[in-house]
Amino acid sequence: MTRTSTIGGPPLSSVAAARTARPFWRLHYSRRIQLVGVAFVLPTILFFVVFKYGPMVWAVELSFTSYDMVSTPRWTALENYRSLAVDPVFRESLWVTAVYIAGSTILITLVGLGLALAVNTAVPGARYCMGAMFLTNLMPVIAVCLVWRFLLHPYGLVNQLLAPLGVGRVDWLTDSRTAMPAIIVVTVWRFAPYFMMVFLAGLLAIPKDYYEAAHMDGAHALHRFRHITLPLLMPIIFFVIVVSALLSARIFLMPYIITGGGPGNATRVLSMLIYETGFSYMKMGRAAAISVVLFAIMMVFTFLQMRIFMKREQF
Amino acid sequence: MGATKTDANGGHGPTRRDIIRTIGAAGLGAATAAPLTRRAFAQAKPPMNLSLWTFENPQQRPWLHKRIRMFMEQNPNVKVDFQWFTFGDLGKKISVGFATGTAPEGFVSQDWFMPTWLDKALLAPLDVQRLGYSSVNAFTDDFASAFVKGAVHDGKAYGFPMWFYGFCNYINTNHFKEVGLDPEKDWPKTWDQFGEVAKRLTIKDGSRFKRQGFKFAMHAAQWTMIQFNPILITHGGQWFDASGKCAINNEAGVKAMTARASLARQYGAEDPADSIATNPLPQMDWLKERCSMFWCHPIPPAAITSQNPKMQSDHYYRPVQYCGVETGKGISTSYGFNLVINAQAPKDKQEVLHDLYKFIMSDLVDCWKETAPLTLARKSGWTDHSTVKDFPYVNEVLRAKDEGVFLPRTVVYNELADATHRGVQKIMLNNADIKATLDEIAAEVDRASTAYKKG
Repeated sequence: MTRTSTIGGPPLSSVAAARTARPFWRLHYSRRIQLVGVAFVLPTILFFVVFKYGPMVWAVELSFTSYDMVSTPRWTALENYRSLAVDPVFRESLWVTAVYIAGSTILITLVGLGLALAVNTAVPGARYCMGAMFLTNLMPVIAVCLVWRFLLHPYGLVNQLLAPLGVGRVDWLTDSRTAMPAIIVVTVWRFAPYFMMVFLAGLLAIPKDYYEAAHMDGAHALHRFRHITLPLLMPIIFFVIVVSALLSARIFLMPYIITGGGPGNATRVLSMLIYETGFSYMKMGRAAAISVVLFAIMMVFTFLQMRIFMKREQF
Repeated sequence: MGATKTDANGGHGPTRRDIIRTIGAAGLGAATAAPLTRRAFAQAKPPMNLSLWTFENPQQRPWLHKRIRMFMEQNPNVKVDFQWFTFGDLGKKISVGFATGTAPEGFVSQDWFMPTWLDKALLAPLDVQRLGYSSVNAFTDDFASAFVKGAVHDGKAYGFPMWFYGFCNYINTNHFKEVGLDPEKDWPKTWDQFGEVAKRLTIKDGSRFKRQGFKFAMHAAQWTMIQFNPILITHGGQWFDASGKCAINNEAGVKAMTARASLARQYGAEDPADSIATNPLPQMDWLKERCSMFWCHPIPPAAITSQNPKMQSDHYYRPVQYCGVETGKGISTSYGFNLVINAQAPKDKQEVLHDLYKFIMSDLVDCWKETAPLTLARKSGWTDHSTVKDFPYVNEVLRAKDEGVFLPRTVVYNELADATHRGVQKIMLNNADIKATLDEIAAEVDRASTAYKKG
């Protein structure tokens, strides 16, 4: 091999080029490990870029256009957002979504925690109940929705069970006052057992010594829950609230199948409005704008929760 | 050595070698030409794959499928990828198909979507001569004029009308007899009679309905439109005024909605919250005898047998005309379906689709036999056949078809249907004020129209 030497050595760029051109097997071990890691992660990164972040960026871009799915998108700047601001259907839908997210999140958290505490007792058979409850998560959502439609029918099982208690006919799904609570109940029925498992994992991770020490100090059950369980479960509670809120924000099938968004707009959540605007009315730009608004709300919500919980953690 | 032969002109005659050479050349030529001929034949009918979409229906879809299979047997080079979707989903599937470049080359379009497809230039004009008509006029003359109007645009035909039917009031004759009414004479002819008859047919157990006199479909926006359309028109109302503004909230509109609401509010003959109707079976409450009257498109006997075999075997039902403000002035809703061609489809595929459509529509009696009493759009070729004439109460379904009013043809049809459906829910289920709700509907539709115009 011949080498050409120059006074003062080779230029820096050519040194760098030689380094980068070095074969893989001659690289330093740590560098090789890094590159192998990147190679392993690359398919996932590509997947996210192509199927998740790419479409998200495209949706944001579409929200500034008028696009009927047939013609080329036409730039309309903030027109979609301006029209949403004055659209009473959108405002109603936004409010309905907020009520749904708040109701579902609070109840899922409370019921999930309650179930986990109940299962975590020494009561015989409690663990078996856990399996039975978790089955609600394994049922296909369409089947769940159809069963609940029958149960909540004016002459359905729920009203028949309530009749001996003196409760008259309740039009659960066709009365605007009860339709949304009914959808929330179905949501909680389906998802609370899932989060119960998450809480249960958290409860089992709390060392028993703390409870024994508190017990010896004379703390009763409520005190132990308030001063040991609750503070140590806080990260799990935060996780459940954020995840269930995000889950609720994207809910579509339940209101779509159970009430069709009605009566009127009583259960028309934003996901349904996005679907109708995009695919029924062929206004993809406007549908994208609603998606961006929903995304922004969820981002703010998650950020605020993080702030609140992080502060508490510092204390 | 062989002597050289000379002809009469003194030239050389053909030698044996020349003859062999000629035969060889001819043989080689024939051998070369034979595959070329075959190739030329194949080029005339190259393999062709077409896609065709329609809506699902237990009678119509299988018949259409049968005709497509027959066409493929007669034209082995043509393969049709035939797909079907639920009635409500077809339009959405096609929209997404156009957006993603996966729309079929041909599809069955519901009449109310024609303005949208035409406005966006998504359909190819039809060559009526290839469909067997001498001119566009001859084509339009062969169909009910009100219906074909939606398929013809700027003097060109864009849709080949298939089925087209009017709604009738289907009554349970046993229920009529039970309450002392003669189903042949006492069926309601005016709105007032309608409320009274429905009330008489209703059976209640306390506040619970054991039987509803009449049932409005509440399960889908499309059905809200179909059933409210004739009420609005007979009361002198209109969906849009001359300027294109939604006029559902004018005085006539309020009167029409009040009439619609009166069945539950005034006569107590209907429970709007109680229904087992679904999209595939909107007439389910009537079929299960939970209500005595229901406005419906012609119902095939097979559909009745599937849910209530006794009703079909004992034949205790019949269709009658809608009621009107005055006796005999009732009109129904009518709508239909067109075979259309995607404007993006290549020319050769468009031509084969014409042949396919012509073939599908070439045996209407066979169609009637398998889909009766779903009436056809074409005037000729079926109504005078004995199987049609002998069908029970066929004149009622034919009259409803001929006299029915159309659903509004507008580019904001889906917005109008959804807004009206939500409005009807508010009025019927939440007792909302009629005028205020109609104002809301009109405002929503006008916003949609404005947005559409802006593009």
